Amino acid sequence: MLRKLMKHEFRATGRIMLPLFLILLVTAFGANLSTRGLMSTQYRILDVLGGLLITAFFVAIVGVCVMSFVLMVQRFYKNLLQDEGYVMMTLPVSVHQQVWSKLIVSSVWFILTVLAVILAACIMAFNVSFLGEFFQGLRGLFRELREIGAYYAINGTAIAVELIALTFLSLVAFCLQFYAALAVGHSFANHKMACSVAFFFGFQFVLQFLGGTGIFAFDALNLFDFLPSWQLNGMAAVHAVLIFCIVLVVLYSAIFYAITTFCLKKRLNLE
Amino acid sequence: MSVLECKDLCKNYGHAPALDQVSLAVEPGHIVGLLGPNGSGKTTLIKLANGLLTPTSGEILVCGMRPGKETHACVSYLPERTAIPTWMSTAQLLDFYGDFYADFRRDAAEEMLAHLNIQPRQRIKQMSKGTREKVQLIMVMSRAAKLYLLDEPIGGVDPATRDYILSTIIGNYNPEAAVVISTHLISDVEKVLDEVIFINQGRVVLQSSVDQIREEKGMSVDELFREVFKC
Amino acid sequence: MKWQFSNDAPIYTQLIQQIKVGIVSGGFPPGERLPSVRDLATEAGVNPNTMQRALMELERDGLVYSQRTAGRFVTEDKAMIETAKRGLAERHIKTFLAAMTNLGFQREEIVSLLRQESGEEETAHVGSGM
Repeated sequence: MLRKLMKHEFRATGRIMLPLFLILLVTAFGANLSTRGLMSTQYRILDVLGGLLITAFFVAIVGVCVMSFVLMVQRFYKNLLQDEGYVMMTLPVSVHQQVWSKLIVSSVWFILTVLAVILAACIMAFNVSFLGEFFQGLRGLFRELREIGAYYAINGTAIAVELIALTFLSLVAFCLQFYAALAVGHSFANHKMACSVAFFFGFQFVLQFLGGTGIFAFDALNLFDFLPSWQLNGMAAVHAVLIFCIVLVVLYSAIFYAITTFCLKKRLNLE
Repeated sequence: MSVLECKDLCKNYGHAPALDQVSLAVEPGHIVGLLGPNGSGKTTLIKLANGLLTPTSGEILVCGMRPGKETHACVSYLPERTAIPTWMSTAQLLDFYGDFYADFRRDAAEEMLAHLNIQPRQRIKQMSKGTREKVQLIMVMSRAAKLYLLDEPIGGVDPATRDYILSTIIGNYNPEAAVVISTHLISDVEKVLDEVIFINQGRVVLQSSVDQIREEKGMSVDELFREVFKC
Repeated sequence: MKWQFSNDAPIYTQLIQQIKVGIVSGGFPPGERLPSVRDLATEAGVNPNTMQRALMELERDGLVYSQRTAGRFVTEDKAMIETAKRGLAERHIKTFLAAMTNLGFQREEIVSLLRQESGEEETAHVGSGM
């Protein structure tokens, strides 16, 4: 059933995101033309056209990024908590499947948006010499990696992977923060949207408060006094901090997830 | 076995009770009218049966189970407002119902849609309010469910549409299933009902068969309703 | 067929009356197959269970009979249909007489009034035909 939910979720979102991607790529192509020729002729009109094409490209980038976010919030709100909720919440599926389908589909669109923007940037910067330079750069990178040795190569890759994972999980956590705020806010009888906004900032405040006090508490613990023999070198410390952050993000994602599903199951209150 | 059963069911909104000690049972094969004035608790009862609300106390069982994803598979629910996703085309809506409900009779739905001259590519968004309501009813009645919960199916529609809706219900429900129709427009639905449940201020006032009311009291359900709920 | 219901009697008894009228007046000719319960119920806008009950009563009276697989049929027994016609007529006359008596008419007056009325109808008919 999760797959069927995702299928229809992709149908609902794809009809907006795919055309946007297409627009992005087309404007990237236009911007490419503009940088290659239009801007450096003596004709004023082509100058203006070139400027417009580049502006359109940046607007498209911002548009795609904003839209993937707006869709994430809007699909949850409109599909589960507004009128459509009467149909969705009486399907023979569990609340967990509902939330996962929304979360997975939103995440996929986030990843695709990042990839589309990278692709668009490549298209814009593309010319004949670009490809050659790109491969030369790659070759150079590998050569340097070989020179600096396996230690840095492996650690560097690992840190990159950890950073990407952290970024991705933070996005997921951000989604869940929205979901939880909407679900809690809409369990009230009145002022549902106002409550949702209030809860969103409430969650934000609690997270920052806990984070802040957490750091002080950690400091006050004087961990290193208890463990005098615990020596960390620089690289290990970076890994430790990143992994600690990942665990933390997963932890509060789980809390938001639990709040969301609890409210949808027990405190649902459609108008 | 009862398809829908309530035992001392209570639901409060804040401190205000919407349902108060409701006990009733609906048997398969019957069309039951859930009748009461506005705000008497009809919608609350139907929402509880669909798991859209959680009881404050007491119990509600659908096909012997607490409302949840298992009961959703055997209940076909018509909400009081149009809730089908408006961005879909009719064909996508048919896909949607076919994907989620094993008991969905797609051919029956297609036939009814064709009868109304609704094209498969037409988007719900482009339809009039009345057509959207009809499409939603067609989806709901095209399921061979065990229990149909129809919340105000004829509220706010013209008499011709009312006839269309009622004949669609009679012509398509699964005869082994129970149908619950909530409404305050009694004279219009009276003829299609086996049984009536009168509900007022969250309490069940009367549960009886329509023929029994007419035989014993010599009056229609509509007249009895006016007498019971006299202001 | 046009279906109409009053508020004072159970629906199924009214259905029995109206199907009887259909049979007697030739709307449902002798030996003809009746539509299915669901179709009849949809047409009349009534509950299929109620329609079922009415048909069972008619079956018990012998005006319709059912064949296991083929469905329900109107009886071919003309005498039985004639009796049903008589029965319906008697009911109409009884209510008519009761209403007239209630208005204070004696039997003879009623009969002469009836004669006068049907005679006038005939002349009116001839008049319009010319």
